[in-house]
Amino acid sequence: MPTPLDELIEALRCLPGVGARSAQRMAHHLLQRDRRGAQRLARAIEAALTTLTHCARCNAFSETTVCARCSDPARDATLVCVVESPADMEAIEQTHSYRGLYYVLMGRLSPLDGIGPKELELERLLERLAAPEVREVVLATNFTNEGEATAHWIAERVRARGLAVTRLARGVPLGGELEYVDPATVAHALIDRRRLDAT
Amino acid sequence: MARRQRVEAEPAYVLHARPWRETSLLLEVLTLEHGRLALVAKGARRPGSQLRSVLLTFQPLVLGWSGAGEVRTLTRADWAGGVPLPQGRALWCGYYLNELVLRLLAREDPHREVFLAYDAAVRALAAGEPLAPVLRRFELAFLAALGYGLDWPHTVAGRYRFEPHRGLVPLMEGESAPGEVVLSAQTLEDLRAGCWSRPATLAEVRALTRRLIDHALDGQELQARRMLRELLE
Ligand SMILES: [Zn+2]
Repeated sequence: MPTPLDELIEALRCLPGVGARSAQRMAHHLLQRDRRGAQRLARAIEAALTTLTHCARCNAFSETTVCARCSDPARDATLVCVVESPADMEAIEQTHSYRGLYYVLMGRLSPLDGIGPKELELERLLERLAAPEVREVVLATNFTNEGEATAHWIAERVRARGLAVTRLARGVPLGGELEYVDPATVAHALIDRRRLDAT
Repeated sequence: MARRQRVEAEPAYVLHARPWRETSLLLEVLTLEHGRLALVAKGARRPGSQLRSVLLTFQPLVLGWSGAGEVRTLTRADWAGGVPLPQGRALWCGYYLNELVLRLLAREDPHREVFLAYDAAVRALAAGEPLAPVLRRFELAFLAALGYGLDWPHTVAGRYRFEPHRGLVPLMEGESAPGEVVLSAQTLEDLRAGCWSRPATLAEVRALTRRLIDHALDGQELQARRMLRELLE
């Protein structure tokens, strides 16, 4: 019979990147130094689990069937940006330069881990993109090989339906000095180089 | 197996990477002289880790490692460069190659010719060469290295039926072999000459490698092949 302490440590290990030692440290912290914080955490997890579902349109977490962002009439419904995670969606939101809608995959295709189109429920995405107002799909999956494979998969399917497909450009970070940028990034920026036309 | 090893600089490819402990990656790599190995890249998942943009699949790397036991510790990772990432369908074919190697090549079983065939295949995929000949060339070289090579008939004539245990069996004139892998003399000649321009050659060799791989896999399904098929549907 595990003690409540063992149970808490074991439970904390479900967090990504948390091993036995960190879990133990967290448990001791919560019980010893911050019991109010621990109570708040317990209540917040409980509340989130009971009130949050996936938005029927963007698949992100939402309290309502369709989330506030998806129901915002000020957003451009002809554009749908596909991202891997809610964190990626927030990263794009922070740019204040995108006014379209999103679809959050909640993962990426990873053939060698057995995560395929079925596991990622890509049919749901295709159904979402079938909405008549959608004109362009912006693929903003990560620039890992798995992110690229995911983008390619979606692009093949979406192009067949006559929608415009775009991919986030990859390149040297803004303000980045070539000397300090890793060579793989520079190499791919070179491949994706663009013509500078006189304006 | 468990002897200590220190390797300073070895040509290698990452076949697969998965999270390991809190901030590390567990890599499956294919190396020139040491075969397939498992390496831990410590700290590779820390934000801002320089390793992350180096430890990419389908990119020629130079790796160093040390340690004993089944999982060694990565001590050096340099990007060798010169090969763009395979794009689109070629990228999916790359996953297929990786899965084949991971499933069929045991760890620590050095096969220089497997590395060379893999390196050639990745470069060809990255260069946008037609996919089918690239895959067939790799499969044949890989299978031969694993001991599934074909015994060639001395003189080639007529048609042959292929069986995993018996190899090439001549077919009588007019004899049919429904559901079996049949190779024509022309296909065998093309194979010997490395000529892939005939569609029938590609189709027959595809059936041959498929049969050999299914035999070697003993009923396991390849995920990458299944997903590639779903993509093409
Ligand atoms: Zn939504």
